[in-house]
Amino acid sequence: MTLTSNMISTKAITKIVTTSQGELQILQPISFDVKAGESVAIVGASGSGKSTLLGLLAGLDQVSAGEIILDGQPLHAMDEEQRARLRGEKVGFIFQSFMLVQSLTALENIMLPAEIAGLSDARKRATEALEQVGLSHRGNHYPNQLSGGEQQRVAIARAFITRPRILFADEPTGNLDAANGEKIENLLFDLNQQLGTTLILVTHDSELAARCRRQLRMHGGVLEEAPVSGFEDKRHAG
Amino acid sequence: MRVDAMSLSLSWRLFRHEARRGELTVILLAIVLSVASVLSLSLFSERLQSALTDKSAEFLAADRLLGSDKPVPPEWLEEATQRGLKVAQRNQLRSMAFANDKMMLADVRAVDNQYPLKGKVKISETPFGLPQVTDSLPQPGEVWIGSRLFQVLGVNLGDQLEIGDKAFVITQAVIELPDGGFSLFGGDPVVLMNQSDLAATNVTGPGSRTDYDYLFAGDDTALDDYYEYLKPQLNREIHYWRSVKDDDSPLGRSVKRAEQYFLLASLLAIVLAAVSIAVAAQRYSQRHYDPVAIMKTLGASAALVRRVYLLQILFITALGILIGGIVGYGVQQLIASLIAEKVQVALDSWYWRPFLIAVFTGLVCAMLFSLYPLMKLFSVPPLRVLRRDLGASMGSRSVQFAVAGLAIFLLMWAYSGNLTISAILLACGLLLVVALMLVTLGLIALGRKLGQARMGAWQLAWARISRRAMDNSVQLISFAVTIMLLLVVLVMRNDMVQQWRDQLPEGTPNYFMINITEGQLPQLEQHFLARGVKVEQFYPVVRGRFAAINDETIRTDVSKEADSNSRGRQGLGREANLTWSNQLQHENHVVEGKWHGGAAPGEEPRVSVEKEVAERLDIKMGDRLTFNIGSEVVRARVTSIREVNWQTMQPNFFFVLEPYAMAEFSPTYITSFHLDTEHKAKLAELMAPFPTVSLFDVDARINQLRSIVEQVSMAVEFILFLVLCAGTLVLVAQVQASMDERMQELAILRTLGARGMLIRMSVVLEFVIIGSVAGFMAAMANELALYLLQTQVFNMQAGFHFQFWLLAPLVGALVVGILGALSCWRLLSFNTSDLLRRMI
Ligand SMILES: Nc1ncnc2c1ncn2[C@@H]1O[C@H](COP(=O)(O)OP(=O)(O)OP(=O)(O)O)[C@@H](O)[C@H]1O
Ligand SMILES: [Mg+2]
Repeated sequence: MTLTSNMISTKAITKIVTTSQGELQILQPISFDVKAGESVAIVGASGSGKSTLLGLLAGLDQVSAGEIILDGQPLHAMDEEQRARLRGEKVGFIFQSFMLVQSLTALENIMLPAEIAGLSDARKRATEALEQVGLSHRGNHYPNQLSGGEQQRVAIARAFITRPRILFADEPTGNLDAANGEKIENLLFDLNQQLGTTLILVTHDSELAARCRRQLRMHGGVLEEAPVSGFEDKRHAG
Repeated sequence: MRVDAMSLSLSWRLFRHEARRGELTVILLAIVLSVASVLSLSLFSERLQSALTDKSAEFLAADRLLGSDKPVPPEWLEEATQRGLKVAQRNQLRSMAFANDKMMLADVRAVDNQYPLKGKVKISETPFGLPQVTDSLPQPGEVWIGSRLFQVLGVNLGDQLEIGDKAFVITQAVIELPDGGFSLFGGDPVVLMNQSDLAATNVTGPGSRTDYDYLFAGDDTALDDYYEYLKPQLNREIHYWRSVKDDDSPLGRSVKRAEQYFLLASLLAIVLAAVSIAVAAQRYSQRHYDPVAIMKTLGASAALVRRVYLLQILFITALGILIGGIVGYGVQQLIASLIAEKVQVALDSWYWRPFLIAVFTGLVCAMLFSLYPLMKLFSVPPLRVLRRDLGASMGSRSVQFAVAGLAIFLLMWAYSGNLTISAILLACGLLLVVALMLVTLGLIALGRKLGQARMGAWQLAWARISRRAMDNSVQLISFAVTIMLLLVVLVMRNDMVQQWRDQLPEGTPNYFMINITEGQLPQLEQHFLARGVKVEQFYPVVRGRFAAINDETIRTDVSKEADSNSRGRQGLGREANLTWSNQLQHENHVVEGKWHGGAAPGEEPRVSVEKEVAERLDIKMGDRLTFNIGSEVVRARVTSIREVNWQTMQPNFFFVLEPYAMAEFSPTYITSFHLDTEHKAKLAELMAPFPTVSLFDVDARINQLRSIVEQVSMAVEFILFLVLCAGTLVLVAQVQASMDERMQELAILRTLGARGMLIRMSVVLEFVIIGSVAGFMAAMANELALYLLQTQVFNMQAGFHFQFWLLAPLVGALVVGILGALSCWRLLSFNTSDLLRRMI
């Protein structure tokens, strides 16, 4: 894969929602491209529309107008079923609140995307992934028996198990203390590096943002490119 | 639904883990409860019904009876035997019995050796003696005769008695025949003989009106099949078919009413089950929003999500049905064995229908009532993983209610086959729901006003109720419906048992005396009183022939006897007992015209006619009736029609005249008295000074009746108990489910540092308010349901039950409040981080 091909390409995407007080435009028309293998941080104040944008890029939500091409596929023209298939094939997720299925064990949570994708070696892959995040001894534990950091490691293992082309993370360290946050970050960037995954993450943490190759700033529904001066390579710091 | 290995394995794993972690407890419990209660109730009532049918079969001495004026073709009986039925024969006719140069009309019954197929013959060595069960029958040449024959004919055991051309030896006194009938005066005394002797008496000539009765017993379907075979060959003029089920005696009616009660109770159990499943399914669905959103985010198609969850519901249902079946059977078996000695239920009998119904109910309830919550679940958008507040997108709750209502109605209808009961329950339920919706809206408005006040426990409770009024409406409705159903079964049982008891109060007269002369009255009363027996009212009686209506001579004779053995076609050739009084008898009600008592004498004597006989003979108000009394003629104008309660054990009369019309006749008197069965031996001493007075013994009948009523009441109590248990469990499940929804709020309040006391008080208050509102609304709906049920289905007198208007809200508040407090205590015993963790 080359850095020159676009993993994501958006053209004037907007999001308008109807509330009881009338229509509300959360996103002003946004256009930008993300290259394959790139790591992009979206930063901005609370309520500025970061998560909304992430949801649209990841195909969890439908744009009100504009176009999104994700790895060559026209996301804006797809229905929920088609988007679900696309997510299953190409996208991985990590969330602030981990979003593990409470009634599945750590191992089974990791297996889930692989199973959904119909991979026959789901269990084997999951065991490996669990080892990679250093939790092989906790495979049979349920999420509520794990600490926040451990849960997020499980989530990372789950995100990578299908070798997605692109990974979305919404405040992946938001619920964690500094030490655990650091661990998660390192894991994330290591895997990103190893697998050449495109990484798009939303964060308040400027240090984390700084580890990305590129930063985009959200401000009242408007997206602007932030200077890349803060970029420093911390990839091998952990 | 195409099931692939992956979704099967995923849903199986989810099911296993969730079951182990207690996630499924509530919905599983709901299904277990529904299956268990429906199974135990319907199995128990099936057994009871068969026990009671058996008991009432005793009064027919068989399960079915074919009556005929002539002997039936022998092939008919062979056919019955071939079909595995038991067959017995009985001939019945009226004939004079002679002994000691005296004679008396007797009810002659010649039976074969199979008789009776159901019930027992009871005899004694002495007339009016203590009854002893026997399995034997009179040998050829012997007769067993009723006590009154001994008295009237002055015979003893071993003496001779002649019927027609044949002389018999009297070997026993018959105290009770199972098919003896419930007639007040017992009809004529019985002479029981062997069938082989009948021909020799030569009394069965053409004019004799001998009944040829064929008794059948066996399995219900075989009996019905046999009737199907017989039906085309029967001639309505000659034959008639009787089943225990069309028994219209007071007893038959009691049993029928009880059966309807069981049916009602089982229906209510089904509704309770449906309600609890609906509540549980809602909770289940809400708790699975996250997993669904996650699976969708990870690329699961809508079809996959559907498969996984439908399969999961299927697993839960299967497990629920299995456990419910075992529990229900166990409970039912336990109760049956507890009451086995009181009510003869067959413990080993097995019925498929209840099992099928239970499984079907479990399946249908689980599927239908989880359908809507599941559909909501399936609509949860994947975006929920980012926007936590996103829930299911489907709105319309009214669709849910409509579907639920329809499903419940269809279930009830399918199960009971009784449209009236089902429609009544549904209509009242609907009304309740609508009323509750209005109350909910009212609460919202009220809550808005209260919202401004300072935050005490009271405000917190109100605020919560009104804020979540719409969410709570399902809960409120389920509480109210549950309470209403419990009230219906409770009050219904009270009213029914009360009416049964009233029918035969303690001390009901069990002996009747007739033929008391005017001169004997004071002496008799004195003699009895001295021996501790109180004699009831004396009624003057003159035997008269009812001769004409409006001077139009009538051919049909009217008989006073409401003989339950009579089948209408028997011409009752006896004279009527005429009485007179200015006082309306107890348990008599004038339904037309005015009671003549006390009015100034008119130009013509007045008479009051019993309603049924008036209808039968087409006697109208204002008609002039003619009676022949001896050689005298008495005419009287009908000025009132009376309804008489034939179920009371007291003398009742078709015709009650004005005293002055009868002044010139010297009557004999009828009276009754009560004597405990244990003191039966006293009878001889009591009656000794009055040899001319005839005694009728209805003690055995009353005891029979009473024991049945007791058994039925007992059965009803147990059913009530079962339904109450089921209802309480439903309430518990509901509170548990709603507690769950409150957990988050509690955790937040707790985190914000609210004192435990405040939280507790507010939660308890919230439940108390919901409970009392539900209770009050339930009491009102109950009143309506009861009125409709009692008037339309049970044929009972309906009344108001004001005490429940107070009681229901109180008990509702108390029970729901306590349950709420208990689960709240449990929640608050966890520390805050535990609470937050459990919440995710
Ligand atoms: N469906 C919706 N209806 C109404 N308002 C919405 C909707 N979706 C998003 N918003 C609003 O749009 C704004 C942007 O929300 P978004 O979640 O994208 O912010 P964010 O940048 O992720 O904030 P945070 O850093 O706090 O997570 C918020 O004010 C939010 O309340
Ligand atoms: Mg956000």
